[in-house]
Amino acid sequence: MSAMLVRLLLAVGISAGLVGAWRLASAFVLWRSGRSASRLGEFARGTPGVVFFTTADCVTCKAAQRPALAALRARMGEAVQVIEVDAQDNVALARDWAVLSVPTTFILDRDGRPRQVNHGFASADKLAAQIASVA
Amino acid sequence: MDAVIGKVDHSSLRTNQAVIIIGLLVAFVLDLPWLVAVVALVMLAGTAIGRPGFFFIYTGFLRPLGAARPHILADNPEPHRFAQGFGGVVAGLSAVLLFLGAGPAGWALAWLVVVLAALNLFLGFCAGCAVYYWLNRLQVPGFVKSPPVGTVPGMRPRA
Repeated sequence: MSAMLVRLLLAVGISAGLVGAWRLASAFVLWRSGRSASRLGEFARGTPGVVFFTTADCVTCKAAQRPALAALRARMGEAVQVIEVDAQDNVALARDWAVLSVPTTFILDRDGRPRQVNHGFASADKLAAQIASVA
Repeated sequence: MDAVIGKVDHSSLRTNQAVIIIGLLVAFVLDLPWLVAVVALVMLAGTAIGRPGFFFIYTGFLRPLGAARPHILADNPEPHRFAQGFGGVVAGLSAVLLFLGAGPAGWALAWLVVVLAALNLFLGFCAGCAVYYWLNRLQVPGFVKSPPVGTVPGMRPRA
């Protein structure tokens, strides 16, 4: 096997290892947030939901994420619930859910378990697909 | 300590990070230490003039072609400059080690730069900026900027 091919395979292997490490970290975030999911008093079991972490001065949240969530609700109606959490007013909850920046959205299944997380803006299409995957 | 006073085009930063990652990966696969040296020199030159090293790819090609749009955020340019300079020094050390025949150590440093640039590009976390803000907290002279309000040090600020 040529040295270049070995290096290419090594590069792919290292990259795959890093992606795997990131996925493990994301799984840890979901596991950790799941431990405090019961503190989301607004969640009604039986309907999947989106937990939207925001802050009062987050422009992306106002200009993009909130309209995307409004579009999601318009499209899915009662089939989805959206819970908005101000990360600055709920510091402990944001810490438990490992929220480092806003907007951050979590997809909850029917039992309220966090199943997916989006760091940064997530479009209505993406959120709808994520909801469909856990519904 | 100074508050945020600057604007930073994060599209330009991301282009820079992508080119650094691609350049170093190509150098690794094709075993080209000189390419590592070129990437390091461009990073250090960019730091010296206060711009992302590969900004010309963004301003000369990607933006005119409509392949990238400006993403201007209220942010401090200094930590990004520090991060790029730090990365340039590590890439430079990598090139020196490679030229001296210390392949494993040299490529390990190159991969470190790749990983840190990828963290910034894909996850929005600038490790060099976090180090800058940490030094700012320790009141080290020269590190005068505090993180943008409400942003975890090193994370990409809100729009």
